[in-house]
Amino acid sequence: MSLVWIVLRHLADIEEMAESKKVISRVEWEKKLNDVKIRKEDMNRLVMNFFVTEGCVEAAEKFQRESGTETGIDLGSIIDRMAVKKAVQCGNVEDAIVKVNDLNPEILDTNPQLFFHLQQQRLIELIRNGKIEEALEFAQEELAPRGEEDQSFLEELERTVSLLAFEDVANCPVGELLDISQRLKTASEVNAAILTSQSHEKEPKIPTLLKMLIWAQRELDQKAIYPRINDLSTATLEDSGV
Amino acid sequence: MPTTASASTTSGSDGGPSSLVARLSSSDPDVKLKALREVKNQIIGSKTKKLSYIKLGAVPRVASILSAAIADGDCFQTAPAASVRGMLGYSSNVVVQSAAALGSFACGFDDGVQAVLAAGALPLLVRLLDHPDDKVVDVGARSLKMIYQSEFAPKYEILERGSLEFLVSLLNREGENVTELGAHIIAHSCRTFEEQKVMLKAGVLKRLVSLLDGSVGQRDASLGSLAAAFKNNSEVIKEFLGPHGGKLFNAILRLTMDSNAKTRLLACQCLIVIRDATDCYILELGLNRKLVNTLLELLDDPGQVGDESPFVLSSLVLGKEDLHTIALEADAMVKFRDCMEKENVNPRRLRGVLLALADLCSKLEICRSTFLSMQVLKPLVGFLNHKEEDIRIAACNCLKNVTRSIKNLCAGYFMKNEALVTALVLLLMDASEEVQVAALGVVSNIVVDFTTQKSMFVAHEGMQQLFGLSKSMVPAVRSNALWALRNMTFLADDKCKEAVYFGMTPSLIADLICDDELSVQEQALALVRNLVDGSVESIEQVFADDGIILDAAGSQLQCGPNAEVLIQGMYVLGNIACGNEIHKEAVMCLLFPLVGRGPEPFFVNFLLSTDSRLRLATVWVLINLTLPSPGALNRQQRLQKEGVLSIVRSMVNDPCLDVKIRVKTLLTQTELGDF
Repeated sequence: MSLVWIVLRHLADIEEMAESKKVISRVEWEKKLNDVKIRKEDMNRLVMNFFVTEGCVEAAEKFQRESGTETGIDLGSIIDRMAVKKAVQCGNVEDAIVKVNDLNPEILDTNPQLFFHLQQQRLIELIRNGKIEEALEFAQEELAPRGEEDQSFLEELERTVSLLAFEDVANCPVGELLDISQRLKTASEVNAAILTSQSHEKEPKIPTLLKMLIWAQRELDQKAIYPRINDLSTATLEDSGV
Repeated sequence: MPTTASASTTSGSDGGPSSLVARLSSSDPDVKLKALREVKNQIIGSKTKKLSYIKLGAVPRVASILSAAIADGDCFQTAPAASVRGMLGYSSNVVVQSAAALGSFACGFDDGVQAVLAAGALPLLVRLLDHPDDKVVDVGARSLKMIYQSEFAPKYEILERGSLEFLVSLLNREGENVTELGAHIIAHSCRTFEEQKVMLKAGVLKRLVSLLDGSVGQRDASLGSLAAAFKNNSEVIKEFLGPHGGKLFNAILRLTMDSNAKTRLLACQCLIVIRDATDCYILELGLNRKLVNTLLELLDDPGQVGDESPFVLSSLVLGKEDLHTIALEADAMVKFRDCMEKENVNPRRLRGVLLALADLCSKLEICRSTFLSMQVLKPLVGFLNHKEEDIRIAACNCLKNVTRSIKNLCAGYFMKNEALVTALVLLLMDASEEVQVAALGVVSNIVVDFTTQKSMFVAHEGMQQLFGLSKSMVPAVRSNALWALRNMTFLADDKCKEAVYFGMTPSLIADLICDDELSVQEQALALVRNLVDGSVESIEQVFADDGIILDAAGSQLQCGPNAEVLIQGMYVLGNIACGNEIHKEAVMCLLFPLVGRGPEPFFVNFLLSTDSRLRLATVWVLINLTLPSPGALNRQQRLQKEGVLSIVRSMVNDPCLDVKIRVKTLLTQTELGDF
C-alpha cells in the first residue's frame, strides 16, 4: 500500500477520534484505517499536482501515460519555468531574468520584491566569485535606486552589501547569504511567481496535507494514545510509549 | 538631462545607456534587435532605469521600430512566399520585443505612460490586436493593459460609433490578456450615466461577471470594471442585479476572502460602490464588520494594495458613525498608529492613513479621545513639517477633526502644546494656499480655548499671521482666517479684542464685510459679533473711524441675499443693542435708515423668513432694544408705529420652539408700554 494512501487514511481517522482521551491499540487503529475510503483518482491528482508544480516534466508525462491523469497544465510552460528555476539554482541570475522576461514581461515589472531578490542574488554571486569592484558598481547602480524607490528593501540591501566588509565572507554574521539555500530560496520565489502568473497554485498540495497531519496528531495527542506516524518519509505506524 | 553614462555591469555592452539608445537607431537590423532586447531587460522592474532611458529618448525610437516592423509585416503578409516567411517571423519578433519594451516603460509608471503616449505608440499597439500571430496579439494586449491602468491613458469614448462593438469583441476573444484589456478599458473609461447604461444594454456586464471565474488577472480587472459600471448608478444596479442579485453579490463577497490581496481589496471596493449607489443591498452589521476587518488587515500588505487600502476604508466609513464605532472596536487606531510610527512610510500610504484617521475622528468623541490617549499626537504634529504638501494638508485635516474634542479644548490641551502651535503658525506662512487653508482649520478649533491660554499662539505671532491671511487674494484663505479670528475672540477678554481691532483696523474689517465672497462676508460679521459681545468698552470699539464697520454691516443687512450673512449681521446688532443708550439708538438708526427706505422696514422680511435662525436673530435684536432702560419706551413706540410689533404678535405660534419662546419674552416685555 502506498505511503500517501496510509497518510491520508491516518489523517481522516484522527479527525474522527477527536472526542475522548483513550488508548487505542494498533489492531483497533488499523481496523479504523481500513474503514476509511480514499479514492485513487484523488491520490493521482495529488501526485500529478506535485510533479507539475515542482516542474518534473518527464515524470509528469510518464505518469499521465501510465495513470491516465490529466496534467492540467501545458507541459511546454513547465519546461520554460524549469529553465528559469535552474538558471537561478546555478547562480546564473542574469540569464534567469532574460528568460523570465521572454516568458512573461509582466512578472518582474509587477513583482518588485521578487525582482529585488533576484538583483540581490546577482550581487551575492558577484561577491562569491570575488568580483568585488563589479559588485560595488552593481550595488550602486542597480540596487541603491531600488532601495530609494522602496525603503522596505533598505534593510536587506544593507545586509547584503555588508558582505563586502568582511575578509572571511563565509564565516561572517551574514554568511548564510552565500549558502546554496539562499539560491534555492530565490529560485523557489521565481517559480511561485511564474505559477501565479499562469493562474496556478504556487505550492503543491502534498506539503499542506502533511502539515495538517502533524497538526492533527498533535491535537489528538491531547486526547488519546494511538499509533502515530512519526517519520513522514516512511509513514510507518509506531506505537506511542505509555 | 541624460544620466552620466557608466559602464553597465549587466550584459557586457559597452558605452552604457546613451550608446545603447543610439544603437536603437542603427541601420543594422541585428544590432537594432539586440539593443532592443537589452533595453527591455535593462528597464524591467526599475523605475529609476525607466526614467533615465526615457530622458535619453529611448521611447520614441522604440515606437518607430515598432511602426517600421508593423509596416514590414504588412508587406510580407500580403505577398507571403516561402523565402519571406523567415522575414515575417523576424519582423514579428521585432514587433514583440518593441511592444514588450513599450509595455514595460508604461508598467506602473505614469511618466512612462505619458512618454509612450507622446510617442504615438497607442494606435500601433491597438493594431497588434488583429495580428495573425497570437504571441503578437498577446504582447499588444499586455502593453495596452499597462497603459489603461494609468489615469493618464486617454478616455476611451464608449459612446462613439464602433467603439462599443470593438470593446465587446475584446471581451469575447480567446486570449486572457485581451479580455483583461477590455475590462481595464471599461474600468478606466466608463464614467457617465449614459455609458453605464450602454454597458448594461449591450450585455457587457454579464460578460464581465463571467470573468469573475477566470484567471486572477481577469477577475481583478472584472471587479474594477464592475465598480466603474455601477458607480453612483442605482438604476443600472437594480436592473442588472434584479432578482438574481444575491448570487452576484455573494460571489463578490466570497472574493473579499480570496487568497490574493489585490482581489480582496477590489472586491471590497466593488461592494462599497454598490452600497453607496443603492439601498437594495444595505449591508448588515456583520458585513460591515467583515469589510472593516478585511481592509484593516490589508494595511499589512507591503505593496500597492496596502497603500490603497486606507483610501478604500475611508470610502467605507466616511460620515457613518456606526462604522466609526466598528472600526474603533477593530483596533483601527492601533493599526494607524503603527503605520504613523514607522520610519520611511510610503507617502501615498501615509496620506491614506491620515485620511482614514481624520474620518474616524470626524464625529465621535470616543474616537478622538482614544487617539489622544495613544500618544500619537507627536508624530502627527511631526507630519505638519513633511516635505510633501499632500501630507501636510492631510495631517492638518486630521488634526482639525481631532481638535474638535471639546473635552480637550476645555482643558487647553492643544494650546499648551508648543510644538503644535509653532508648526501651525509656520504653516500659516506656507507657500501653498491649500496648506494655509488646512492649517487655518486647525487653528480655528484650537483657539476656541476656554482657559484663555492663547498667549502661546500670540507669542508665536500667530495672530499676526491671521491678520495677514485675512488679506489674501484667495477667498478660501480669507474666510478661514476670519473664522479662526472669530473663534479666537469668542468670549475673549477685552485685551484680546483690542489687539484684533488694532491689528485688523476698522477699515479692513469693513472691507471684508463687503467682500465679493459670501463666505468672507459671513465670517467677517461673525467676527464683529464676537468682538461686540461683552463689555460696553468692546462695543465702543465698533464705532471707531466714524462707525465704518457699522455702516458696512448696515448696508449688507439691507441688500445681502444670503441668510447666513444676514443672521450674523442681526446678531451684531443684537449684541450692540445690549450696550448703553447711544448704542441702542445707533442700532435703531441702522434698522430705520433715512436713505433708501422702502414702504416697510427691511428687517420685517427677516421676521417672515422661512429660516428660523434668521427669525430668531431678529427677535433677539428687538428684545435687547426694548429691555427696561430710559429710552426703551420710545423705541417700543417706534416699533409699534412701524407695524413691527404686530408682525411679532402674529408669530406667537411660530413652528420653531426657540423663536416661539423669544417672541413670548418680547411680547411680555413690551406689554407694559403698549397703551
